[in-house]
This record gives sequence, C-alpha cells and structure tokens, in this order.
Amino acid sequence: MAQSNSQRTVWQVPEGFVRVESQVPDVIVFAPEPKAKQTDQATSYNCPNCGAAVAYDVPAGGIACEYCGYVAPVKTQQLGQSAQEFEFTLETLSQSDRGWGTERQMIHCDSCGGELTIPSGEISTTCPFCASNKVNLTVCHDETLRPRFLIPFKLTPEQIQRLTLDWLGKGWFHPDELAASTIAQHFNGIYLPFWTFDAKVDADWKAQVGYEKTERHYNAHEKRWETRTRIVWRWEDGHVQVSVDDNLITGSNPSQISHHILKGLHPFDLGDLVGYKPDFLAGWQAQAYQTTLTDAWEQGKTAIREQAKAACRQDIGSAHVRNFNMIADFSDESWRYILLPVYLTSYRYQDKVYQIMVNGQNGKVAGQKPVAWWKVWLVIAAMLAPGAILGLIGILTILIGGIGIIPFAIGIILFVIGLVFSIILLNKARQSEAK
Amino acid sequence: MSEETAQVKIVENEQNLWGLVRKPAGCPHCQRVFMVPPGNDTSLCPVCMVSPLEDQPVRMRLSDPERILPFKTSKAHLPSIYSGFAASIWIRPKDLMPEILLERTQPIFWPLWLVDCDVVGQWQMEAGFDYQVESAKETYSNGQWVSRKQIENRIRWEPRVGEVDTHVDNVPVPALEEVQKRQKMTGPYPLDKAQDYDPAAVGSAILEVPDLPPAEAWPFALPEINKTLAKLVTRAASAQHQRNFAIKANYQHQHWTQFLLPMYTTYYLDDDGKPQVLFINGMNGSIQGPRPASQKRGQKIAGILAAIAGGLFLLALIGFLLTAIFPPVSLLAAFLGVLGLGAGIAAIVPLVWISQWNRQQQTQQD
Repeated sequence: MAQSNSQRTVWQVPEGFVRVESQVPDVIVFAPEPKAKQTDQATSYNCPNCGAAVAYDVPAGGIACEYCGYVAPVKTQQLGQSAQEFEFTLETLSQSDRGWGTERQMIHCDSCGGELTIPSGEISTTCPFCASNKVNLTVCHDETLRPRFLIPFKLTPEQIQRLTLDWLGKGWFHPDELAASTIAQHFNGIYLPFWTFDAKVDADWKAQVGYEKTERHYNAHEKRWETRTRIVWRWEDGHVQVSVDDNLITGSNPSQISHHILKGLHPFDLGDLVGYKPDFLAGWQAQAYQTTLTDAWEQGKTAIREQAKAACRQDIGSAHVRNFNMIADFSDESWRYILLPVYLTSYRYQDKVYQIMVNGQNGKVAGQKPVAWWKVWLVIAAMLAPGAILGLIGILTILIGGIGIIPFAIGIILFVIGLVFSIILLNKARQSEAK
Repeated sequence: MSEETAQVKIVENEQNLWGLVRKPAGCPHCQRVFMVPPGNDTSLCPVCMVSPLEDQPVRMRLSDPERILPFKTSKAHLPSIYSGFAASIWIRPKDLMPEILLERTQPIFWPLWLVDCDVVGQWQMEAGFDYQVESAKETYSNGQWVSRKQIENRIRWEPRVGEVDTHVDNVPVPALEEVQKRQKMTGPYPLDKAQDYDPAAVGSAILEVPDLPPAEAWPFALPEINKTLAKLVTRAASAQHQRNFAIKANYQHQHWTQFLLPMYTTYYLDDDGKPQVLFINGMNGSIQGPRPASQKRGQKIAGILAAIAGGLFLLALIGFLLTAIFPPVSLLAAFLGVLGLGAGIAAIVPLVWISQWNRQQQTQQD
C-alpha cells in the first residue's frame, strides 16, 4: 500500500508570504504579505547633492533640483485605461462615507524637525520652516481610497501662460486690454481628485409608440376630399445594452473648485494614466477627494442611466412616444480614484476676481472673462434697431395712408430675429463671467 | 508482519464474527462474497440473483466494523414501495407483483472503508473569501427615476500555502470495486447519521465482504483524505471556499475499519425468465432497478384487440351483404365497421407504447 504520495522535503515558505492566524491548531497558514501602505509617513523631498528642496519638473519628467541640476526620473508604469478598477464593496462604500473629517493633520518634518499642520484633504505641502516639499497620504486611512493613478502634468506654467493669454484675447465682447494684459501670471499646478465609473446597463423599455398614418376623408362643410395625418398608438417594448467606460465625476468640493469651469477642461485623455508615485506631487499641490464615493456614484449613476434612457429612446423608431417606462439593471460596476492635472489662477479686473483653469495635460483653457458690457449693449441695440425702426415706419404709414402693413410685418420679423440673437449673446456674455 | 497481514484471516466455517453468527458464502456467477446467517444456504446471491450462494472460504479482516447505518426503512414499508414501483409500468411483466417482490426481499449491509491516518506535509490552494458588493436597479416611470440598491455576493480568491500536521479520522472510502454502480442503484446515504457498530442493528441481514482490500482501495482513499484536508485548511485559513488544492504529504499510521450501509434487494423475472434485480436504499426507501414493460403481454393484448377488430370487420361485411335484402342493416354494418377500425388502431397502441417505454428505460440505464 502506498503509505504516502511523496516524502517530506525541506520546505521553504514562498517569497512574499507571511504567516497568518490559523483557525485550526494543526494547520499553519501563510498568505501573501500585505502590500506596504503607500506612505504612512510624509515623504520629504530634498536634493541628495545639495540639500535644497526639489520638486517634480515637467520637462525633465522627474524630480529635479533647480540649484545643482540633479534629476531623478520617476519610475512608474503607463497604465492608461487598463489601470485597475475596483468594485463597490460594502466595506469601501462605508469607508468612503466617513470622508476626511475636518481635522487638520499634524506631520513631522524629517528635514528640519519642525511640526507643521496641513488642512484636511490636502495631500502635499511645503514646510514653512525649511521649504522642503512634502507628500503626505496619511490623510486617508483606507488603502483602497488612496489615489492609485494620476496623469502627470504635461505642460509647464510658461506654456500655460501663453495659452491663457491667447484665450483671454479671444472674443470681441471682452475688454481690449485683457489680451495684452499680464494679469494671469501666477499659475498653481494642482492635482484634482476625480472618480471614474464603469458599468454595463441592461435596459428594458416599454412605451406607447405613435406612428403617423395619412388618411383621406370627406369634408362635408367644404364639400371636398382632404388628407389628414393621424397618430396610431400601440404598446411596444425592447431591450438595450449600454456599456459605459470611464464616466468622469469630479471629487473636489464645488465651494472650493468651480465644477462649471472644471467641466470646460474636459476631455482628459485617460490613456496617459500612470501608477501613483508621490514624486509626481513633490512641489505641486494635490487635493484628496471631498465628494465621497457614494455621492460621486450617485452622480455617475444619474449620468449613466440618462445615457441608457437615451439609448432606449433611440431604439424606438418613432418621434411620438408616450407612457415611456424602463428598468435599467446595472452590472459590473467599478470605480477608480485618480488625480488629474489642472492649473488654477485668478486675476483681478476692475475690483472683481476672475478664475481661470487650464487642463495640465492638453492645455485646454476654461474660466471667467470680464465682459465689456457697453459692447454687448451696443450690438444688441444694433440688432434690435432695424426691426424696431421698420416697425415704427410701418405703424406710421398705416396711420397715414394704410399701406404700411408690409414694412410693419418685416419690422416685426426683424425685431424677433434680433431679439433671439440678443438673448443668445446676452447668455453667452453672462456665462463668460459666470463662476 | 505488516498490520495489514496481521488483521486478515481466512474464514472457512460458520463462526461468531463481530458479535454475530455468520458463515462465509460466495456466488459462483458474480464472484461476490458474503457472510450469511445460518440457514440461508439455499438463497440466491442477493446482488446478482442468478445463482444460489455456495459455501466458500473468505479472506477478510476480522476487526469489528466501526460504524453502521441501521435500517430506517423497515420491511413493513416495502409493500407500498413495491406497489408504487410496479404501478409505474403500464404493461408490466407478470412476475412483477408486490407480494412476490416482498417474498424475495433480502436485507444486506454493504461495506465502505473508514480510513484514519496521520498526515504531515505542505499544501497550497486558492482560498475563496465571500464579500458583498452593491449594485443598482433603476426604474423610470411617470417621468421619475426610482433607485433600488441590490447586494450581490462574490468570492475573492487569494493564494494560501502552509503546513499540516494532523490526524484524519473516519474518511469513507470505497470497499467494493463496483461502488459507483452500487451508489447509483441505492442513491446517497446520510453518512452523518451513522452510529457506532452494534450487532443488534445488523439483525438477520447478510453482510457483503469487501472485494477491494486496503492496498487496492488506497488510490480511491487518497483523494477522499485530501478532500477532508482541503476542508480543514479552508477552515484554518478562515476562507469559505477553496480551489486548486494540492498537497505533498506523508500519510502514516493508517487504520482501516468498515462502515456498513443498509439496503434491500429483490428481483422479478422478465419475459425471458431473466431475473431483474431491484435495490432499495435502507435509509430513505428509494428503489432502483430495470423496469422494462412486458413485450409478451403487450403482444397478447394487441393480438386480442386485432382479433376483435377482425371479427367486427367480418360482421360489418356480412351486414353490408344483407343490405340488398334488408337495407336498414347498412346502418348497423357501418357502425360495426367503425368499431372494428377503432379496435384495429387500439391493437397497435400497446406495441408502440412498449417499444417507446423500453427504449426510454434503456437510455436511462445507459
């Protein structure tokens, strides 16, 4: 009889495994060693050559010292859209709901020994005593909810300044001096938190769909045959599958960062996503999320279900629809927490502060621009005047000779057209200043 | 001398074994070996039911069985079980009658091995941990969205390795070569309901002797022991599931005992006089066995119906001939003709049904 299926050999615990608690005394269990937390202590950035503060340098693509020329490239992997996505586990959702709290974090500067505080939700800072740059992730206790991916800044502040000046110069209804101004000089590069969501939706719809039917009928009053269009309603149903990839929802607080302006920076090319390294944040500002995963997912879900609804409406082959209802069954939902590069600046014009944001990846600019309202009103007056004048002439000639009906009608049409364009212009001008 | 050799003896005559008086007997047809109660000399082999058992020396382990599942289905329950079985066949063989089946019933205990051993070695597996995720179902109706959260259970798989130094106890292992066929015939047994071996629980039942000695049963034992170990290490790792379990170990100090499972067997003779054996699980009373319909009886019924049809046709023909003399007879003749046609069609039905039924039964058996 085979007493054993092999002889006992000297056994080595596989590399990377550590002993864990066993529920059975006769069994020893080894599990993969838990990944070390990204940084449980603030990382300080000083030049190994000269000791000066170093920061991430965009052209160098790594940590650079502006005094001695030291450069150390950041070792990371470009992951793009293959960057890991996470499930909506109950544990993570509950952790996310706890948020950051309002406590300020106390960190110890290992460069100068000083103690400094950083506001809740901020990941990077500069020591006020020795000016060394610090990246601190202890603000988030849950490993899962720490940023894992980011898009590094691709454009330098100098490039951004040129793009901003170009943007400021565009548009005729802004003050002329805005284009030549050097007011937007101080750009703060900041990594802003975003959530990306993926989901598949199986949508079943049911609705009364109307089909136009042309039919002839006899008009007894007019004593002639006429055609008329009738809508025939019938119940129909259908199934639509929608797959949503990387639905982007901002994780920053709208009271701090204007979501309206931020939307103008889209799209970001998530193909540039890289694995998170604190080096990218050295010398740059970075914000942790303020909108929790649960709240962001509610916004994401709203957008996704509207996409599914639009797909269902498209599936219906008619413009006449009533009593529409649908069920959207979500599956394979996943999320990612990422940091995206944005330059922020604000400037003062005639005692009013205006915000500008620039996409740090592709240079797209969005923000507030002051409006030279006299130009706007002048153009509106010019657009309304022809219609108003012609209308008045029409009225006068009607009163005098009764032949002014045609100029009056043309005047009314021109006035209405002018009014429509004026409203569009007015909205555009208001939006330009809107925060 | 090994432990195995020390425990095995040749039993030649009637003797007190395991607290019971039994004598060894074998079937010259199927080669199965049994320990039968005295006075059971003339009975047929309880498993193949072809040949009577003959006295035959048996080489077997003398140590008492360790566990037994006592009969839960008593003989009093058997008539209703047999009636249900017989009623399931429309045109059944003549011999398939509950009272005949009852008369031929034999209670038997058939064996499994129970293996104990010490296991020392290393293992690896993928441990599965349950977790829950939130999903959504959104309903749009009357211009409004209504959200409903759904919780889904998923398994997270993680590698685990480790060492084991333990004792496994009472792992059930096949003791018969035909264990799979036997389990198919009897259905599953609730092994957790077993009790310590007690001769009183055996009564007058026949004991089937293992035909797989421990050395030959070991290849079947190893995966069963490893399954037990897989459950143990899954529990040790606080996991709920496991997959790809592998172990490299020594299996020492093996101890083999028997586990007795109850069943009844009986038989009926088919059209050709061949015995068709039925197996009844002694715990839940489930009955299994061939259930062919009787072709002979079917043909007989078909023949009678065909003869009736022929007679009716003949009468109808005579009736039609008589219409020349007495026209109203034509009505009766037509009626007889229709009846004859009905009887002719009915004659085909048993033959078609039997053919279909037997083909279906053959497929199920295969």
